[in-house]
Amino acid sequence: MKKASLPAIAATAVLCFIFWLLLTGQLASLIAGEPSLEVLIAGCLVSIGVAAFSARFFIHEKPFFFFNPVRIFWLLVYCICIFPVELFKANWDVARRALSPGLPIDPGIVKIPVDLKSQYGQAMLADSITLTPGTIIMNTVEEDGKNYYYVHWINVASEDHEEAGQAIKGRLEKWAERIWE
Amino acid sequence: MIYVVYALIVFSAFFALAGVVGMLRMPDTFCRMQSSTNITTFGMIGVIAGGVLYSGFVLHNYEMLIKLLVMGLFYILTTPISAHAIAKGAYHHGNKMIDEAVCDQYKEDMQQ
Repeated sequence: MKKASLPAIAATAVLCFIFWLLLTGQLASLIAGEPSLEVLIAGCLVSIGVAAFSARFFIHEKPFFFFNPVRIFWLLVYCICIFPVELFKANWDVARRALSPGLPIDPGIVKIPVDLKSQYGQAMLADSITLTPGTIIMNTVEEDGKNYYYVHWINVASEDHEEAGQAIKGRLEKWAERIWE
Repeated sequence: MIYVVYALIVFSAFFALAGVVGMLRMPDTFCRMQSSTNITTFGMIGVIAGGVLYSGFVLHNYEMLIKLLVMGLFYILTTPISAHAIAKGAYHHGNKMIDEAVCDQYKEDMQQ
């Protein structure tokens, strides 16, 4: 694995510091205008130390790629408006299957193509699909420069790669592309 | 506002119940995991959203609110990763799908 560059370490340190603020409860006192200076300095030192060791696992592409208001805005829209709707539909569907007397399931593992190039985008799409009930990503594979997911699907509607991909990904892939590419 | 909190908690209790019933009734490991995702998404998000509204609008305790949001964030980030790992591990360990399974394209590709 290649060594991390200085901007990569800086980007990881900023992210670590934000989580330090959240976890130590300093954000509320920072907003109120009475931050505790010792805690902030300790947070800086610790996050730079952690970033120096962990940046090479965490950042493989352009480091400050994500610190871009447009991307963060689309990510918030996705998290607040788009994903919960998909989550509700899928949750309702699986809850109905689990509670109905006949247990109407047709499980199976299908292979679906993914058109995203960015690793972060692929990871976000895979996590979104796994988080919706009814589909779990089991493995990813790269064949001839194209990426595929193996998905365990509780109601196999189609065994064709493209059709199954459309049914599972829906509009999630378009949004992942908008956020990460 | 307190009634919204009650409604959210009852809502997520319903999905948690459906998830538990599903886990008891489903025939194989992977289907059981599918059903348990019901609990880990809406069963948990409803409770966290209820807690956020309660701490924000009833208790006015904003430190608690931020901690709940951080809990929810880490919950959402870590659950799918463990699900990938468990599903793949279970498959390679030799857990079989039920015989009525429609297709297994993973096995077909592994045999090549």
